[in-house]
Amino acid sequence: MTRVHVVAPTRAPAPVALPDFVTDVRPPARGPEHRATGRAAELGGLSGVLVPFDPGGHDALVLAAAVLRDTRRIGVTVEFSAAVTTPVYAAKLSASLQRYHAGRLAWWLAVDQDPAVARAHGDVLTGPARYERADEFLTIARGVWAGRGYSREGAHFAVLDGGLPDSRVDRPFPRVWLSGTSPDALALSARHADVHVLAPGDDPALVPDGVAAAVRLRFAGDADAFADQLRTYEAHGVTEFVVDPADPVADAYRLAEHVLPRLAKEAGNAG
Amino acid sequence: MPVDIYWRIAMEGDAPALRLGDITRGGFGPHRPGALAPGADDGYGPLDYMAEVARATERAGFVGGLMPSFPETDDPWAAAASLAGETSAYRFMIAFQPGFLHPVQAARMSASLQAATGGRVVYNIISGGGGPQQLWWGDRVDHDDRYARTSEFLDVLKGVWNGPYDHDGRFYTVEGGALPPELRGQPFPEVYFSGSSPAAIAAAGRHADYYLSWLEPFDALAEKFAQVRAHSDTPPKFAVRVDVLARETEDEAWDEIRRGWARASDRASGGTESVGWKRGRSFTEGAGSSYRDLEVQPNVWGGFDRLRPGPLFGLVGDYHQVAERLDELVRLGVDAFILAGVPHLEEARRVGRHVLPLLKGRLS
Repeated sequence: MTRVHVVAPTRAPAPVALPDFVTDVRPPARGPEHRATGRAAELGGLSGVLVPFDPGGHDALVLAAAVLRDTRRIGVTVEFSAAVTTPVYAAKLSASLQRYHAGRLAWWLAVDQDPAVARAHGDVLTGPARYERADEFLTIARGVWAGRGYSREGAHFAVLDGGLPDSRVDRPFPRVWLSGTSPDALALSARHADVHVLAPGDDPALVPDGVAAAVRLRFAGDADAFADQLRTYEAHGVTEFVVDPADPVADAYRLAEHVLPRLAKEAGNAG
Repeated sequence: MPVDIYWRIAMEGDAPALRLGDITRGGFGPHRPGALAPGADDGYGPLDYMAEVARATERAGFVGGLMPSFPETDDPWAAAASLAGETSAYRFMIAFQPGFLHPVQAARMSASLQAATGGRVVYNIISGGGGPQQLWWGDRVDHDDRYARTSEFLDVLKGVWNGPYDHDGRFYTVEGGALPPELRGQPFPEVYFSGSSPAAIAAAGRHADYYLSWLEPFDALAEKFAQVRAHSDTPPKFAVRVDVLARETEDEAWDEIRRGWARASDRASGGTESVGWKRGRSFTEGAGSSYRDLEVQPNVWGGFDRLRPGPLFGLVGDYHQVAERLDELVRLGVDAFILAGVPHLEEARRVGRHVLPLLKGRLS
């Protein structure tokens, strides 16, 4: 089953001025239209929303929590780096989001960041060590998630006799998204990923066995052409699409009403 | 000078009454008959109950809520970011330890939440605690070093907030850290600073807008405030975290305690290794075994930790007595309160209706 995720905006849209004689009761804008994008994805039957890490925009985790509160069914994937928190705290915070929001959170761990962006965010680690740290991060996060008495002393993180409290509300470990085509990136995915995101032109055969292949694409507004493009990828084993929209809210509806039906028809599901 | 009065919001679920203890509202525990907001069963989950408490708190006359953070609770950042759209004036006092987040990430999250809420984020910064619990969190930094880290953390956070900022320190390195243009210029969150050790008191002098203490016998509290003043060039304001059990009559209030005590007195107290907790325990050392023996001065009772996890001291009495004790604390120099009662929803409404209107403040 093909899954389509739309990328949520992380910056406020350009303000629109109304003529002076038009009564203007608009409340003051409070940032990006991430919530409207999430609701559009939900209404339209898309699989989810990706909230990317944007050094020039609002924080992805804060935006993602708001989208989760506004929706009931879609997945919400939040992109972050293993340098911003500890695996224990990431697990703790995410376990609450899972309890609050019916287990719909996913993590996209950003590993191969631009070095200048990383340093501005307090991360001085470079090269293969970043993959080693990401591996440790995901290992420890899963370890404390699974139950009590978990200990591990790593090169980057440690925990002694850790483990999240039991919860009778389901709180599945977040689906893990990873990306990149280097051997380190692919090895990390083989160990940890549920979804591996490729760039256009990457070979889907690179994606490790048992990991869903995804492609991140721009949507220019032509539904027929876009559906054709997705079907071509589908034929090569890609099952998830992350769509960068030109206009997030409008394009989420466009994807729902004009692209998804074309995919369903091809699969013979249109009745 | 106005006094800011907050009301705690439970992050671990709520009980139907202090005397009953069992968490049956939106908590982690097993399902029980009569449980509210368990999640899967009624489609109404822990966060929905918290949203009710936040709305009731806001309506009742409180400025916001303290969102505590312990291994057995949900997480305050997750809750505040999820609830940002549910209230319009409620301030989210987020408890966290600097070891949890990198300061640049804390700056980004805080500024984004400030933008989403119109500036309603408040920090409750905790540095101490310690022992096995600190390693549970995956934090290897020693107790006294954690205050040095807290200082550096707040320096970096403020530096990035007003960026661009470079820093090469003991715990953090940042090169060209800054908030993106649309997150700049947000008000920096007020800092409530907790900690009873000498290291905490020294650090509070530098960074705290409010020095936050658990309730203690009033003389001890006054002494603690004096110490903080002595350690600061510009003394912070003072805040106290106070459980209240207020009823129409004093007998009714103590009867709640009596019934809770009968159920709980054989249970281990929910203690931690923090200096504040040990200090609190010392005030009732040698007290008798009756619940009333823990009333160290009129209406100031030191057995709350036996009825629910958390601080030892709180106020028990009729509405007027509780208001008078709070007024006494204001005269002692208290500028802000974090009150709490179980269940958090109904008790917020009760205290807002019957106790807050009786307060006279410094004029009393």
